[in-house]
Formats: sequence, structure tokens, C-alpha cells
Amino acid sequence: MTRLAPTGEATLGPFFPPRYVDEGANDLTVCGGRKAKGGAIEITGRVTQVDGAPLDNLIIEIWQPDAAGIFGHPADPRHAQADPDFFGWGRVATDRDGNYRFRTIRPGAPQGRIPHINFMVMYSGLMRILKTTMFFEERADPVLDLVDSRKKLLIAKTEKPGHYVFDIRLRGPGETPFFDD
Amino acid sequence: MKTLIQPRDERTQPARIIAGYPQTPWRNPEQPLVKRSPTLSELTGPVEVARRVKLLGGDIAGHGGQQAIGQLIHLRLRVVDEDGAPVGGAVVELWQANAAGRYIHPNDDDHAPVDANFYGAARAVTDETGLLELRTVKPGAYPVPTRDGWWRPPHIHFSVFGKVWLSRLVTQMYFPGEPLNEQDRILNAVPDAQARSRLVAALVTPTREHTNALVYEHRIVVRGHQATPAQP
Repeated sequence: MTRLAPTGEATLGPFFPPRYVDEGANDLTVCGGRKAKGGAIEITGRVTQVDGAPLDNLIIEIWQPDAAGIFGHPADPRHAQADPDFFGWGRVATDRDGNYRFRTIRPGAPQGRIPHINFMVMYSGLMRILKTTMFFEERADPVLDLVDSRKKLLIAKTEKPGHYVFDIRLRGPGETPFFDD
Repeated sequence: MKTLIQPRDERTQPARIIAGYPQTPWRNPEQPLVKRSPTLSELTGPVEVARRVKLLGGDIAGHGGQQAIGQLIHLRLRVVDEDGAPVGGAVVELWQANAAGRYIHPNDDDHAPVDANFYGAARAVTDETGLLELRTVKPGAYPVPTRDGWWRPPHIHFSVFGKVWLSRLVTQMYFPGEPLNEQDRILNAVPDAQARSRLVAALVTPTREHTNALVYEHRIVVRGHQATPAQP
């Protein structure tokens, strides 16, 4: 059977409708008015380009498992036990200074992985979605281990307990490692 | 139930850095991307995205005295995976310029007029056959502020949530027979001519129920397949 080629990607462009960044879409601690299980954390960061200039109105999406490390998706063998009040996807737009902010639940370790949060970056000038992963600490992990000398750039800094900082540099010094699948 | 993801043919995907598109060398990574074999984390993804975002429906052309100006179009969008299997329940976001080539967005300071009856954003879910019927107006072309005469051809932006995280897609759809298609730096960033032609919608014969609109069909293939590859 012939497989179809996936449709070509294209840039989000500069005109992604502001109303698509729904109010509360960056707060994963609640869903439908119900609180998710686990410890609430905050993730903030700044997104910059080659010259260090901050990028505003850039779209970030995240995907993660619940506090027990279970994904709310049928491919996870433990999916029936997933927290029904946790929806592991969120979206945010950066502000004028390139800053973003998510509130979420500290994810548990999924099978075979250490705790992490998947990130996608979409923006004008990005012809393809950029994919990266934020980790909480440097330990053995089949994805983190693929990154050589730049591993530390994927580990969030602890600003204070429960507040992590994950800056994203699209190009230039301290460039964030991005993945290709 | 398990969705597999394999690397795409690079020729079907756009170049990351494009001559004459000045933002591309500022924002695309300089370092090589880290090749990864997907794990469960990337082979799962949000289902029922409407739990987090508000659906807006697929009819954005307005009605009666509030109908948008421009050529009314009816677009049959079909979302399938690499097996050709329908992707039902997929949230699709559409955004586009009005018939004069103007977006409702703080970034658009073009002089083309705003249409009070057109915002240009639809968000809806595919049915079990992967189909989403959209009613809108044909977007106009507009100049890109690069000072060297680059005009974007009429196009519609789509953001699609597939079955898993790596199926997530942001793309643009073009219209057949538009002279500006030949010169567009974004469309032509895809090296393979056939892959480019698949970004262009097809004009089809209007059905009796859509006599006042031009009818277009377009297929979007999101990443992922279920079938085991045949043994040689």
C-alpha cells in the first residue's frame, strides 16, 4: 500500500488570530473548572532570535503527561488511569518582551522517560514547527541523551520552588537544541 | 491504535531558510536538528482539543445584510493520515485575509480596507469521515513589506491537530490558476513540484445546494500511519 506524503508545512505568518490564544489556554492546572491532581508549577521564559531580540506574539504549545506520568491519549497503555481533570495540552503567545508563562502540574515520569514537557514553537519566518523538550534535571533519558554538549540548555532553571525558567533561543549563542523526528 | 511516525521525504517539505524572506535566517536554528526516534511522549497528543479551546464554527462568510464582501466559496476540507484513513474529531483552525487582502490583526497595517462583516477565523472539528465544510470568501492577494515586489497569492492558513503530537501541522492552501503562485517564496520553498501542487485546492463542479458559491476541495495529510510496512 502506497503511503501518502504528509502535507507540506508553512509558516504561521504574522497574522495568527489573537482570539486563537484562548483565555486560560496557558493554565493546565484546571480543566472545565476542575482542578488537576498534583503539584502546580509555573514555567516562564523568554524567546529570542539571532541578535538576542525578543520575539512577540510567538506561539508556544506544550504537551505533557499528568502527575502520575500518564498521557491522556489512547496510545498510553495506562491511559484508563489518566487524571480526568488534567488536559495535557496548552498554548500561549509571547508578550512584547518575548516572555511567556504557563501554569501546569509537575509531570510524572512516563514509562522509560524522565519527567519532561514537550514544546512546539510556531512563528512568522519559521517554515516548520520547531520542536524541543524541557527537562527538570539532567538524568539518563532516551531523548535527552541524544543531545551532546548542549544538554544543559534543555534543563529548566529553578527560579524558586515551583517556578521554572525555560528560555528559548531560536538561533545564535546558546541556541536551544531542537529535534527532528 | 498505535500511530507510527517516520521521517518525511525532505523534498515534500519547505526549506527553512528562504532567499528574499528576511526573517527566516534570523529565527531558524543554525545547529543541526537532533534526530530523534519518537517515544510514547511524542506518539500521544491532545485529543478533544475543544476541552481547552472554544470552537467558532466553519461558516465565516456572514449572512444576509452581514455577508462579507468578496467571492463566496464553499471549501470541502478533508483531513487524512498517511494511510489515507480519515482523521475524525480533528480540530482545524483557519485564518485568512479578507477579499481585499487585509487581515484583522494588529500586525496588519496595510492600506487595504477592513470588511466589518469579516474577521477571517474559523475553528471547527472534522466529522468521522475527516471532512470539514467551510463557508468563507476567497482571500485577496497582498504585498509583503519587503520592498522588492513580493506579493502573497490568495491563500488560507490552516492549523490542524492530528492524532498525536507529531501530527500537528501548520500549512497554507492556495487557489488554482493564480499567477502569483508561480513567484510566491513560501509556496515555492517546497522543492518537489507534486508536493507543491498538493497545496493547491481543486475547483469542483458546484452541487445544487451550493449554487451561489464556488466549491473547492482540499486534502490535508497529517503525519502518522497505522499500517505495518509490507515486507520486501
